[in-house]
Amino acid sequence: MLLTKEGVTSLPICPNGSVNCQLSLEELFDRAVKLSHYIHFLSSEMFNEFDERYAQGRGFIAKAVNSCHTASLTTPEDKEQAQQIHHEDLLNLILGVLRSWNDPLVHLASEVQRIKEAPETILWKAVEIEEQNKRLLEGMEKIVGRVQSGEVENDIYTPWDGLPSLQLADEDSRLFAFYNLLHCLRRDSHKIDNYLKVLKCRLIHDNNC
Amino acid sequence: MKQRFISSVQIILQLALTTVGLTGQTYPGKPKIIRCRSLEKETFSCWWKPGSDGGLPNNYTLFYSKDSEEKIYECPDYLTSGPNSCYFDKNHTNPWTTYIITVMATNEIGSNSSDPQHVDITSIVQPDAPVNLSLETNTSANMSYLWAKWSPPPLADASSNLHVYHYELRLKPEVNEEWETVSVGMQTHYEVTSLQAGVKYVVQVRCMLDLGEWSEWSSERSIQIPKERLPPEKPTIIKCRSPEKETFTCWWKPASDGGLLTNHTLLYSKEGEEKVYECPDYKTAGPNSCYFDKKHTSFWTIYNITVRATNEMGSNVSDPHYVDVTYIVQPDPPVNITLELKKSIKRKPYLVLTWSPPPLADVRSGWLTLEYELRLKPEEGEEWETIFVGQQTQCKMFSLNPGKRYIVQIHCKPDHHGLWSEWSPEMYIEIPTDFRVKDMVVWIIVGVLSSLICLIMSWIMIMKGYRMMAFILPPVPGPKIKGIDTHLLETGKSEELLSALGCHGFPPTSDCEELLVEYLEVEDSEDQQLMPSHDTPSKNTKIILKETDSDSGRGSCDSPSLLPVKSRESRGLPSALQTQDVRAKEKKGGKGSRETQCTASEQKMLPCSSESIKSCTWLAAQLPGNQAAMFAYHSTVEAFRITLNTTNVNTSPVLVGNEENRQSLYPIAETVYDDEEKISEMEYSKTDQTTVQVRQNQQNDKSPFLNPKLMDYVEVHKVRQDDEPTLLLKHKENSGKTKKNPVPGTSKEYTKVSTVVDHHILVLLPDQRTQNTPVAQEPVAETSQNPQESQGEKSTDYSTTAPSDSRGDTSGSDYMDPSSFMPSFK
Repeated sequence: MLLTKEGVTSLPICPNGSVNCQLSLEELFDRAVKLSHYIHFLSSEMFNEFDERYAQGRGFIAKAVNSCHTASLTTPEDKEQAQQIHHEDLLNLILGVLRSWNDPLVHLASEVQRIKEAPETILWKAVEIEEQNKRLLEGMEKIVGRVQSGEVENDIYTPWDGLPSLQLADEDSRLFAFYNLLHCLRRDSHKIDNYLKVLKCRLIHDNNC
Repeated sequence: MKQRFISSVQIILQLALTTVGLTGQTYPGKPKIIRCRSLEKETFSCWWKPGSDGGLPNNYTLFYSKDSEEKIYECPDYLTSGPNSCYFDKNHTNPWTTYIITVMATNEIGSNSSDPQHVDITSIVQPDAPVNLSLETNTSANMSYLWAKWSPPPLADASSNLHVYHYELRLKPEVNEEWETVSVGMQTHYEVTSLQAGVKYVVQVRCMLDLGEWSEWSSERSIQIPKERLPPEKPTIIKCRSPEKETFTCWWKPASDGGLLTNHTLLYSKEGEEKVYECPDYKTAGPNSCYFDKKHTSFWTIYNITVRATNEMGSNVSDPHYVDVTYIVQPDPPVNITLELKKSIKRKPYLVLTWSPPPLADVRSGWLTLEYELRLKPEEGEEWETIFVGQQTQCKMFSLNPGKRYIVQIHCKPDHHGLWSEWSPEMYIEIPTDFRVKDMVVWIIVGVLSSLICLIMSWIMIMKGYRMMAFILPPVPGPKIKGIDTHLLETGKSEELLSALGCHGFPPTSDCEELLVEYLEVEDSEDQQLMPSHDTPSKNTKIILKETDSDSGRGSCDSPSLLPVKSRESRGLPSALQTQDVRAKEKKGGKGSRETQCTASEQKMLPCSSESIKSCTWLAAQLPGNQAAMFAYHSTVEAFRITLNTTNVNTSPVLVGNEENRQSLYPIAETVYDDEEKISEMEYSKTDQTTVQVRQNQQNDKSPFLNPKLMDYVEVHKVRQDDEPTLLLKHKENSGKTKKNPVPGTSKEYTKVSTVVDHHILVLLPDQRTQNTPVAQEPVAETSQNPQESQGEKSTDYSTTAPSDSRGDTSGSDYMDPSSFMPSFK
């Protein structure tokens, strides 16, 4: 009985674009890019909604400078840097950024519920981003595992200590904490999306997208 | 002396002449003193205007006298004040004296003096305008001043420079119309305050002595009042833009510079760095801009940018501008746009658009991903149709309106953030007219052509059908009877055959065809029915024969014959006829009543005949065919015999009248009683047994109300009693009006001997082909209406000769003329 079950389950349904019933790197990248694109789309929308609703005239942008918790991760800041960095390093950086967002996204999804009159669209997006970020992280680990010759570094990760700021009693400070977090999320999700697109063009299309 | 005297006399004469004006030379006109003026109260000048010079050089002399003296002086100085002037210097000027001045003009002929002018020096003083006006501006404590300096008017006499003038200054901004006048006093400089900064002013001065008039305004001087000197206002950063996500440029708009040369510096600090940098490149992107090259451009970093404007008076800094270059990417419009029309399988045209990303954008590396949007509208259209096409660089457009010119534009944008590029230059494409429309045109042409062909074909078919009739109706061999004139038979015309069938016009109607068929049937039935009746000569007068047979044109000449016969008889034997009629009426009853009336007398019959067309037609439909049996021409033989048997009348001339107007069935209906009638007729007319008279009677003349058809009948002239039976057909025309037509071609009668039976009885068949009755000695006259006539004649042809039997004769009157159908069907 068990054998037959195993026999059945062991027959994988080969997905499209797979080689030897294994997803090709191209397909992996395609999916990753789609996902990162989607995540950035969501975070961007969420930031804009929040900005429109809570941040108008408060000058948050000026205060938001240099305050992302991932700022300590040195990531490429322009095209040349992105092209010069080794793809394994870039992949690890992406992994690091993604991991760094695991914790704050969980808290964001829960804390955003407490914002006064938070619109449903923001709440929903916070949850969705958290889930999609995990999925992307899984996919990225798969890609890294495929691409990387050595062991996957698990140590790239920056801790987030912003939870208290999201729970501040002062509304203005609390809103700014959200603003800043969303601003950083938008930035980092864009970074990831951009790096992934560069990597895809480099690794899959040989810089000829 | 004498000569001199003469010459002097001549001169005098000449002078006299000139004074008379013959040469146009005369004494001078009156000069006029225009003006006397003193510049400084110590000297003065007078000017005059010469009158006409009289055509000769004039001398002007100014004389003056003083009110205190009687003496007259001449002008002391004609030169100083210019031509036509006199200058009175100090020595000749006395301010306490009134001068009386006259000017005298003199020439060869005479002299003339102006009106005297009284001059008081004090009242004619007017200095010249001040000179050397100069202007300066001065700014102190943010106030602008205008400093004007000038000199008093110069005098001819340099020694007398001690006069005191009063001055006036006027000024206005250059663009204005109205002057502002300022009284200066006796000083020769003035300082104007409360001026508008940055405006150009115009200044003039004038002067006046303590008495007299103001001088003219001096010549204009103008000066630009400088702007205020202020520190610059806050400049504004308009926008920052990165065209390719690698570099970026920021532009600012300077505010007021405070009237001073102002410098702008752009300062920026990057997120995560304390240091403030200055713009690396002010030039590349034009004035008031700063270009950040690749080195200086970071992404995911906020730039805090300010612009500082600085001049002598101070500086001012713009509001900070926070820029994350990631979000300010605005690419250039796409390039290499091509529009191409292609045809799909269905031959519908569609538009293929292709384009390339802007040359600056590096989309290959994946660093920048562009999305495109295109828009198009018909050239005259108002609204654009916008289509987002994503990352692809080509697009197919279907369902464009054919025959329209479209404008197409494309722009692009980075995938997440940034701004749409400008629209690419307008591209035009003309969508050709729909191919299907062309097809439609082709199909329409094909359709029209094919329908034309069909028409022609059908026309041809009709034409052929015309001939086919002749083909279907095979020629019946002409009668081969001795004594029949074959000439007449052969000269027949095919048209007449046709008309005999009832085909009057072209194209033929269906009636014709029906007739044709029926006609054919007749032929068959004839023989079949002839023979048995032939074999068994019974007393029964009815021979089974199809009604159609009797109808058919060839069949029976009998019907028309009835009338003439009767009419003739009525003439000859009125009493007898009438009695017959009465009898007929009694016998036939309602049905036959009308016919009997018709037959009773010509006069009575006339109105009836026209009616009969309808009624007879109606009858035709109703009457059983067998009734007509005995009346067919071929049946006359039997009829003859029958009548002989039944009636025991020895001999009677057979009168076969042909009346076309009658419907063929009319006689059929009649026959029942006609038989009796004829019998009785025959009793009266005892003629030779062997003589059969078949007459064609044309009754047109007698009955104007009847259809003017032929009433001819054929009269069998004579049947010889020889062993060989010979028929002699006589064509007789009874009508008075219709002319006899001797042309044999027009007569269409013919006969054919079908069989010769014992007892010398001839069975005659009509032959359609040969239309000339050989026996007809008198050709049938043509009436005015040819087709009817010919038919009538046709029908008469069928009136065949039969052995004289009055009964058969009369009974054979069911001869039917197809032509008679025609009106009834119409």
